[in-house]
Amino acid sequence: MYQSKNLALAHYWVAFAVFIVAVPLGAWQMLMRSPLPAPLDDSAAYYASVTLHGTAMAYGLTTFFAMGFGYAVAATSLGRPIRGMAWAWIGFAVCLIGTVLAVLAVLSGHASVLYTFYPPLLGSRWYYAGAFLLIGGSMIWVVLMVVNMMAWKRDNPGRPVPLAMFAITATALLWAWAASGAELELVGILLPRSFGLGDLVDAGLGRTLFSVTLHAIVYFWLMPAYIAFYTLVPQAAGGRLYSDTMGRLTFIMFLVFAIPVGLHHLFVDPEHGSGFKYLQSFLTFLVVLPTLLTIFSLCASMEIAGRARGGRGLLGWIRALPWDEPIVLAAVLALLMFAPGGGGGLINMSYAMNAMIHNTAWIPAHFHLVFAGTVVIMYFAIAYEMWPRITGKPLRSKRLARWQLWAWFWGMLITTIPWHIAGLMGQPRRVAAFDYSDPLMARTAPLTIISVIGGLILLGAAILLIVILVRSHFGERAAAAPMGYALAVNPPARVPPALNGFALWNAVLAVLMIVTYAYPIGQFFFLKQHSVPAVEVTGRINVMGVRQ
Amino acid sequence: MSRDRGPFRLDIPWTRIAWSLVAGFVVVSFLLGFVVLGRYQQSGPPLDVWNAICRAIGITADTGPAGEPQPPLQTPTRVAWTRATLEQVASGNEQKGAFIALNCGACHGEQGVSSSNLIPILAGMDAAVIYKQLDDYRSGKRLWGVMSAIATALTARESADVAVYFASLQNGLPPIAGEGFPQGGRSLRQPDPTLRLIFVGDPGRGIPPCAVCHGPDGQKVGAPALRGQHAAYIERQLASFAQGGRQNDINEQMRTIAAALTQDEMHTLAAYYGAK
Repeated sequence: MYQSKNLALAHYWVAFAVFIVAVPLGAWQMLMRSPLPAPLDDSAAYYASVTLHGTAMAYGLTTFFAMGFGYAVAATSLGRPIRGMAWAWIGFAVCLIGTVLAVLAVLSGHASVLYTFYPPLLGSRWYYAGAFLLIGGSMIWVVLMVVNMMAWKRDNPGRPVPLAMFAITATALLWAWAASGAELELVGILLPRSFGLGDLVDAGLGRTLFSVTLHAIVYFWLMPAYIAFYTLVPQAAGGRLYSDTMGRLTFIMFLVFAIPVGLHHLFVDPEHGSGFKYLQSFLTFLVVLPTLLTIFSLCASMEIAGRARGGRGLLGWIRALPWDEPIVLAAVLALLMFAPGGGGGLINMSYAMNAMIHNTAWIPAHFHLVFAGTVVIMYFAIAYEMWPRITGKPLRSKRLARWQLWAWFWGMLITTIPWHIAGLMGQPRRVAAFDYSDPLMARTAPLTIISVIGGLILLGAAILLIVILVRSHFGERAAAAPMGYALAVNPPARVPPALNGFALWNAVLAVLMIVTYAYPIGQFFFLKQHSVPAVEVTGRINVMGVRQ
Repeated sequence: MSRDRGPFRLDIPWTRIAWSLVAGFVVVSFLLGFVVLGRYQQSGPPLDVWNAICRAIGITADTGPAGEPQPPLQTPTRVAWTRATLEQVASGNEQKGAFIALNCGACHGEQGVSSSNLIPILAGMDAAVIYKQLDDYRSGKRLWGVMSAIATALTARESADVAVYFASLQNGLPPIAGEGFPQGGRSLRQPDPTLRLIFVGDPGRGIPPCAVCHGPDGQKVGAPALRGQHAAYIERQLASFAQGGRQNDINEQMRTIAAALTQDEMHTLAAYYGAK
């Protein structure tokens, strides 16, 4: 992997360091929400904790992991050193500084605005600055991915870009488009206001801009898992990828359809008419297509592997799969969690059904099942797959790794299934303290207690992950096979230019963004004033009565 | 990404198919969202196409509340926490304030620490709070004979001066400590009902926690920090809000909360904050 080894490893370590800090917070929040006694039960601390947990998991873990994964994929799939190593390290440093700033701001108790910012809530300027640097620093990664892919294409005219590289570049472009919303909100609204410019906050505009990010960011998180489904899992299973073209189409569809759909997070927000909400709800359903393609392709690739390993009969190939490979097991567990999680997502994105579960505990349950379940379990598996190849030291025990994956799987189900049900019963989200003496809430008490048990299992699994990685890190060196990506059953000799680059798809996306967002964003500039006074959570007043 | 195949060259099948599909999706969803949905979504007779589209983009002149009778506007105060207001408060002059404060000492104490427990301690109180109360007395939004007369004699600038002066005095209300390390017992598990009201409120009765506005940790502009204030004064103000005698809380929050409290609760809450 040339010199990119240390680069990828540094990103992975920061990602998992952030992760291991944020997991106990999540477990404690579960305890706080339940009727059980909780240490340090302070409602103000709960919101600070939710902010930190969300920021660490949604921005920190994912961004660092995707960047590290991208560098590893670029180096190994193209088979040559990464161009712009110095820039990559600069990007890493900027992201790290941003993360530290944001974490310190939240720990000081002056930024409990939750990770989605929620204007008119207004927190510490350092929190926004940190988030801005973290997201902004990752744009260097985006540029590097594009540059590396283009350079390879120039040097290999007419040859198809390897699927893994094509997919990670799609991920980078997706992230660049998606992050534009949050960056514009930070630069245009929150940072100026937190530095004292202006009195009011345009909450409607801020929320609309963030919605550009809010849904697509989920696909940014998801993409490393999908790339693993297409390239790493079939390879580890000893088979071949069912179709290279299907993979390319999947990642193109994610790029095009993941972003102009964010208004489905604002179904009950009053500042938008029903037309654009419906339009984006309609487009959201198109995201189901690449997901279904992926599930089909993964199952087909697994069957190819199973039959190649001697499996016979209608289902005999399933037993023939190499279940002792952590990434094969993880892929199946991920799909098992994705089935109910994705189904829940269909409810959330439906304009009419959304009203039943909006702002209830169903929503955090849903995104934990999909993100913390499906996506993060694949992050673990990717780490188990890549760590030995980066460090040259194999996993000490694949068995322990399998245990860890099973624990995470069961922990996530035990946490999120009762959580979903509590949401259906009407338990609201973003609430620190529930009055369980209220008969309506009392019914959800046993469910939240089960979720606490799930949370503790997840905490144990997270610690086990770190133990496995550290143990392997200090283990003995052994020759490891170089990073390999599954070949397709029919490896493409040539692909149409549309499936080998993103010019067409960026243009399509740009048009879709104009169609779906030009009016919802533009209206704030010509309709009546939407700005409202900020609700500051900085908690500090100087003696002169003017907020700092 | 490359010059040799423009994204708009429709003679290439991929380009043609991609644009046709996207255009198809957009047209179908526009028709459904802006015409069909807008036409039939509301109860009542279906709208014509133009009104359906207007409704779908959120402009609903035909169905909006604009034509409904509006209740007469009642403002509980003339003060709004705009930057201009806060800057006016901050520009107060301490020396001038000290001179004006000579009129206050008889009741509020020479150093802003009153001896009567029904008269609030002003030393160390947030300047914005004092400024707002003076303005409310001046405009008749808060009623108390002596204070109304005194405040009427002051200009807004003089109010700011005297507010800043009292805010600067030591030995009165303790300074606001700010957020500290999380402390246990600030949730609904707290067995002491008074502490529970202060730190988590009572969701069942719609009472938010006192502490988020009045300290000890959180603090909102315009809400006085209560720690160290005379308990009897706090209790009287709670009763006054509950009975509607005092109506100068901007969002009617104190009238709502106080009306939900029992007399015992008012007493113990005041005692908690008043304890030195």
